[in-house]
Amino acid sequence: MFLAWQEIKKNKLRFILITGILMLVSYLVFFLSGLATGLANLNREAVDKWEASAIILTSESDKSLPQSFLTTDQLSDINADKKAVIGQLNAIASNGDQKQNISLFGINKEEFLMPNVVEGRAFEQENEVIADDSLKDKGFNLGDTLTLSSSDQQLTIVGFTDDARFNAAPALYATLSTFHQVKFGEAAEQNNDQINGIVVQDDSISTLTPPNDELESIEIESFIESLPGYTEQKLTLNFMIYFLFGISSIIVAIFLYVLTVQKISMFGVMKAQGISSSYLSWSVVAQTFILSFIGTTIGFVLTLISGTFLPAAVPVSFDLTIMGFYGLILMLVATAGAVFSVLTIVRIDPLKAIGG
Amino acid sequence: MTVLELHQVTKSYGSGHKKVDALKETDFQADRGELIAIIGPSGSGKSTFLTIVGGLLSPTSGDVVINGQHLTALNEKERSQIRLREIGFVLQASNLVPFLSVANQLKLLDKVKKGNMTKAERNQLYEDLDIADLLTKYPSDLSGGQRQRVAIAKALYSNPSIILADEPTASLDSERAYEVMDLLKKVTKQKKTTTIVVTHDIRLVDYCDKVYNMTDGVLSAIEKQANLQHISGESR
Repeated sequence: MFLAWQEIKKNKLRFILITGILMLVSYLVFFLSGLATGLANLNREAVDKWEASAIILTSESDKSLPQSFLTTDQLSDINADKKAVIGQLNAIASNGDQKQNISLFGINKEEFLMPNVVEGRAFEQENEVIADDSLKDKGFNLGDTLTLSSSDQQLTIVGFTDDARFNAAPALYATLSTFHQVKFGEAAEQNNDQINGIVVQDDSISTLTPPNDELESIEIESFIESLPGYTEQKLTLNFMIYFLFGISSIIVAIFLYVLTVQKISMFGVMKAQGISSSYLSWSVVAQTFILSFIGTTIGFVLTLISGTFLPAAVPVSFDLTIMGFYGLILMLVATAGAVFSVLTIVRIDPLKAIGG
Repeated sequence: MTVLELHQVTKSYGSGHKKVDALKETDFQADRGELIAIIGPSGSGKSTFLTIVGGLLSPTSGDVVINGQHLTALNEKERSQIRLREIGFVLQASNLVPFLSVANQLKLLDKVKKGNMTKAERNQLYEDLDIADLLTKYPSDLSGGQRQRVAIAKALYSNPSIILADEPTASLDSERAYEVMDLLKKVTKQKKTTTIVVTHDIRLVDYCDKVYNMTDGVLSAIEKQANLQHISGESR
């Protein structure tokens, strides 16, 4: 560590360049991880809010909630600790000034899918809804009357909940009968037992078996991954992050290798003097770790600072645990980049260095 | 007291008709407090001799003994430890670590050798070598003579038994070269080390207690004054 730190102190410019590159790579990694988390939240917030372990859908729906058609009678067939019915449809809501894609959830107020209310009150009558508070940023307010595409029904926002977006659309929560009115219009009475799924909270999800082949029990994480575009989006961003890990390792490896080659003669003399290869190798590894730690830390801080200046429309959400984990990986792969330099040091013949 | 012994040491490269004998059967002995010069022309085997004594090169045959330890019986790691503890190197271009101040050059050795020198001993070393004022300077700030003084300080750090100096004055003008030899003689006598200087500069042999000539891999002791004129001619 002594040798590593002394060299950094003496050759500041050289090491600032390496640290700067690591800082930029880590900045990009942290930003992409924020974007990945933000976009994931955009899809899954409402589902996470259920704190559910599984969802029962029809087998032929292919894990798609709006394509699953069940009846409330089937609820009694499901053997689980806690269960709740859910109806869901997508629509475009307008308050006269603004239009917005929304996801309408029909639920029973007394079941666990009932969201918390952060502003206003819970729905009490027909056609009242609790809306995701991201709609406020889009110009929707308490008391607004909403008209929906493909329905004559009008809904009124009586409350807001937080963190409730589903598949990138803000969620509206209403009673099951309101949901039926919106979905079936005049035929609502005849279809008042129609739902799209049954959400389950049960610790022993692995043993949860649907009553017949027509129904399928889907673990909640699997359900989220089946949301349209969710997995593709996640994989794309994660691929970019993993690629950056590789890039940072290669950049560090090249830089350090060049620096080590420049110092072969010096290392050779030191080895001739009896300083071991392991001491010199450890010095290079320690140096890389110091540089990657400084670069990653600056990148981390810069990311958080940048995040405060981003407009709300940018779907970035910084999860400090994930960022910390990625930061650690970045430091490890960058340090692994020192391996070529270590091999070079081990192979240095002190005899050649002193001209024997 | 004998510090270094070579018994029938040889070094050959290649085989068959391409075989080159860099060092022919050599017996050598050096005692504590002796300053010894090995002179000879380029390619005569001087450096081969020095690197074998320094444990950097294994002889083809024979035995090298440093303070009773048979170098040829040791593995590379053990030889590295011997170099660290028993041998100090002074090289032609001083070979200081460019990014370490003079104080830190020595601190590095302190760390590697696990600090077996007291502060008082360190200060005495700085004083003996007249480098106390240079401690905060970097190698690039030093003159050639100053760099060699620091290199000698490094070689002497933690009191090795043997100092091996390979052309220590080659990059210096005459005045600085004599200064360095003065210093090597002084520390050899003061600290009772065994110092072996490999050089092709016969002006330096006046400082030495013994002089050996190396020609075509054959090491032979010479009477300093009697044969210097002859050696001078060969070296050139």
